[in-house]
Amino acid sequence: MLRPSTLAMILAGGRVDELGVLTHYRPKSAVPFGGFARVIDFPLSNLLHSGIERIAILSQYRSYSLINHIGTGAAWDMIGRNRGISILPPFKDYDNPHWYRGSADAVFQNLDYIQYYGPSQILVLSGDHIYQMDYRKMIRYHNEHNADLTAAFVEVPAESASRFGVAEIADDFDDGGRMLSYEEKPVNPKGRWASLTVFCFRPSVLFEVLKKNQQGNSYEFGRDIIPMMMRERFNVHGYKFRGYWGYTRTIDEYWQTSMDLLGPDPKIDLEAWGIRTNLAHRNIADRQPVKIGTHGSLENSMAYNGCIIDGTVRNSILFPGVRVMAGAEVNDSILFFDNTVHQGVRLNRVVSDVNTVFNDNVRVGAPQCEKPSRVSVIGWNNSVPEGFHIGCGCRVAPRIDAAKWPKNNALPDGEELQ
Amino acid sequence: MRESGDALVLLLAGGIGSRLNLLVGHRAKPAVPFGGIYRIIDFSLSNVMNSGLTKVGVLTQYKPLSLMSHIGDGAAWDFTGRTRGIKILPPRTGEQDSDWYKGTADAIRQNIDFILANPSEQVVVLSGDHIYRMDFDAMLSYHQHKRADITIGMMVVPKRDIHQFGSGIIDNDNRVVDWEEKPKVPRTNLASMGIYVFDTAYLLRTLARDRKEADFGMDIIPRAINEDRVYAYPFYGYWRDVGTIQSYWETNMDIIRENSGISPEDWEIRPNPEYGGRPMDRAPARFLDGGKVASSLISAGCVIEGTVINSVLSPGVRVKKGAVVTNAVIFDDAVIGENAVVDLAILDKRVQVGAGAVVGIGDNLTFANKDFPKHLYTGISLIGKEAKIFANARIGRNCIVNFGYSDDSFSGQDVLADGQSA
Repeated sequence: MLRPSTLAMILAGGRVDELGVLTHYRPKSAVPFGGFARVIDFPLSNLLHSGIERIAILSQYRSYSLINHIGTGAAWDMIGRNRGISILPPFKDYDNPHWYRGSADAVFQNLDYIQYYGPSQILVLSGDHIYQMDYRKMIRYHNEHNADLTAAFVEVPAESASRFGVAEIADDFDDGGRMLSYEEKPVNPKGRWASLTVFCFRPSVLFEVLKKNQQGNSYEFGRDIIPMMMRERFNVHGYKFRGYWGYTRTIDEYWQTSMDLLGPDPKIDLEAWGIRTNLAHRNIADRQPVKIGTHGSLENSMAYNGCIIDGTVRNSILFPGVRVMAGAEVNDSILFFDNTVHQGVRLNRVVSDVNTVFNDNVRVGAPQCEKPSRVSVIGWNNSVPEGFHIGCGCRVAPRIDAAKWPKNNALPDGEELQ
Repeated sequence: MRESGDALVLLLAGGIGSRLNLLVGHRAKPAVPFGGIYRIIDFSLSNVMNSGLTKVGVLTQYKPLSLMSHIGDGAAWDFTGRTRGIKILPPRTGEQDSDWYKGTADAIRQNIDFILANPSEQVVVLSGDHIYRMDFDAMLSYHQHKRADITIGMMVVPKRDIHQFGSGIIDNDNRVVDWEEKPKVPRTNLASMGIYVFDTAYLLRTLARDRKEADFGMDIIPRAINEDRVYAYPFYGYWRDVGTIQSYWETNMDIIRENSGISPEDWEIRPNPEYGGRPMDRAPARFLDGGKVASSLISAGCVIEGTVINSVLSPGVRVKKGAVVTNAVIFDDAVIGENAVVDLAILDKRVQVGAGAVVGIGDNLTFANKDFPKHLYTGISLIGKEAKIFANARIGRNCIVNFGYSDDSFSGQDVLADGQSA
């Protein structure tokens, strides 16, 4: 057997509560992003371009959407005698009576899988982030410095650091150094280097620390494994990543990161990054080119095949099959697959999940909204009744029953419809 | 679910389609790109798939490479599986036959072994050159119901066009009672679409009769209407033979036009997303500030900074700032430079139009191309694959710029005049 030198394990189990209605029916990593892709396409495309060909995806929450998306793995060239993507769902057996109890537990439960392939290093990645990275550079760093663990970090403003795992990294080398301290979501962060959840482990060390970790009652890489390795004086390095890093943990962040796709020189350049997605998922390969009618217009926007545009679209991202009828206006919004926007509709700062219909004269959001949360999010398979007004920062759960829409035809700012 | 029994499909994809000029310089007519992301043959192949038919032979002849890679293993049209399949059937040298196909019937005759190897009740013979949607399952049921030996797909066309087709006269039961191949003086407006259903046993018998009968329209059918049961299967709907530059351009434009009757997506036409460097693996089309697009088809991977009106753009086309593209069909990855103008033109793959250049200058649309007056006579100019039009160059109407052309001329006062070729 040709042994892969690197085995990648993608943590794709989580639901991420803050994304709410977008993750009712799918894990975070399967959330659509970028007008045609899914969040997990970013790490998968990075792996493809890094030449890493043996991948496991640890999936727990509502994994069907993810399994369907990965398919055979052919979309990322991961199909062949020595290449492949395996999805590793949680299981119960003689020793393990429980689900994955955390990211570290998920990897621990699949140690037999890792040992079967016997890699020289193990890459553990989150499936939840938007970035382009050549993992080979980090692996090279890891091997040059004979590290037990190399974790990637990105510099963030001090005020937002407390949301992440934060490290102080010695200035040993241009691209990284020994990790001096590590704290998970500290109130008063000491450093400004935030963890990307991209870890490169020496396999023997990973096995050892995961086993030890089983004695505790918390099983997370950030919260438990890294601090343990720091305490026990393993050779832990921080790798300084200096590229674009987009996180999508809340609806507002999701919206903000999506806006980085737009403009003449976008921070997220899908074409240059070589992002691939599974074209068989939702039949996106079968959609005809974007059709723009006589009165249709798109400004500073992005649209994939299958869209039909007769109305006005500004600063927006349209996934395959979105229809914008004449007399409708879509501003600063992200519409997932197969949304229909009827005439007279005005959308401002909306994220709308798949198959939602905005009937005549619906209003969602307003051009000017007050803080804190301004983006409204609509769950999938909704039909927003004619003339209905949804305010700013609202949340509408998936598939609301026709009878459940408020009779006064309005949902005030910041309200939730379940 | 298919109503009719097992039928074998033979797709004639060997035609040169020489009237398409530069577009068929590197590829067979069925492999010519169409409608942004399709190839012409996708329409026939998708019709076959959507009719529930699963065994196909594709008879190739002229420049088959592009076509063969496009078809691949046929997975795009669901032709892979234990009892499904699509086979490419190139011409072969037999013991006494010369290798090229002499006509439609001769092509089928040379592949009798393929017909015998795939037992069927009926054989469907199609052309890979047409843009239409048709349910062959319904046609097969009709054929069986009529207990016909041959059923011919036929439609009404304007009388002035009938000279390009085989034309038939039918009785009240749709039985064909008279036949004229490409008549100069039409007696009817019912034209053959080149779509035939044969009873397999009948087809084998009739092909064995006389080896000199090389063509269905010219030889086989005129004889068969006297001796056998030949029926017309009436087709109502959109159908185009995109065999000329003019009809190719018009048919592309029909996709944009409201209520023109053609809609590849509604027709469930499938392209091959894996072919040629994965053309579909493109980011969504980007529409930048200052750009304007109306009445157009824009494929994934396009970046539009200028103006695009009434045009069909394949994946990866860039229209830079200030450029104006009107009434054009542009293939993959062409670049229209800043402030360039393209009007009434077909640009093949990777054409580069330099900044400030004009393709389609002047109002004289009727001065036909000198070298190919029958190909280009309505104002459309043709720019071959990978040609490079330098900055500020000017190209007139009905012009041809050859593949890979890259001389620094036609700038300033020096115009490629109407009807000229480079």
